[in-house]
Amino acid sequence: MLSKLRLIAVAAASVLALVACGKKEPAPAPAPTPAPTPVAPAPAPAPVPAGVTVSSVSLGKAVGADKKVTAASDTFAKGDTIYASVDTTGSGSATLAAKWVYTKDGKTVPVKEDTATISATGPATSEFHISKPDGWPVGTYQVDVTLDGKPAVTKSFKVQ
Amino acid sequence: MSDMPDFSNVNSGSSSTATKIREVKSGDSLSKIAKQEYGDAGKWQLIFEANTDILKDPNKIFPGQKLKIPPLA
Repeated sequence: MLSKLRLIAVAAASVLALVACGKKEPAPAPAPTPAPTPVAPAPAPAPVPAGVTVSSVSLGKAVGADKKVTAASDTFAKGDTIYASVDTTGSGSATLAAKWVYTKDGKTVPVKEDTATISATGPATSEFHISKPDGWPVGTYQVDVTLDGKPAVTKSFKVQ
Repeated sequence: MSDMPDFSNVNSGSSSTATKIREVKSGDSLSKIAKQEYGDAGKWQLIFEANTDILKDPNKIFPGQKLKIPPLA
């Protein structure tokens, strides 16, 4: 009888021990917080107008009301007025300059320099012109067109 | 000093289909500017009308003022 009781006691103790040891399963780790939804990137800023750029320069002996040369030429006569017609695109304020030079034996002689500040709202054409009452010396010339002080286009021409 | 030509008597000018901006210099008047820009001093009123935001009297312009020079229609 005693051994039966002992047996029961041992069994009960075992049961208790098992119950005691039966640890509760650890609570599952909390599901990782979902990564915050990436904030939609801010819309790209509206493209900033590129400002005024020189698209082309043409030389000629006359310009029309639209300031474009009526007959392009790179050869002129002594008595010609010489026009450089400068096409620009874009809008904004910009300073165009035309620097006219005469070249001989690798040397350059300044002829004239003019600037024009424009306030463009779109494609525009500006003209620069030069004339010499007593006629142009025969030779080679060039006109350097700059935009805001930066070289844009250089054109060479001859007087013969 | 050299046989390089003399370009001191070269005349020049410019015009544009865009509005030009011109800074008033000492001695300028609207008619003088109109003569230089348009070849016609009588067109000074075009310049005045384009600049009524800064000009109240066509006879009073001052060095440093930046005038809008509208293209001729």
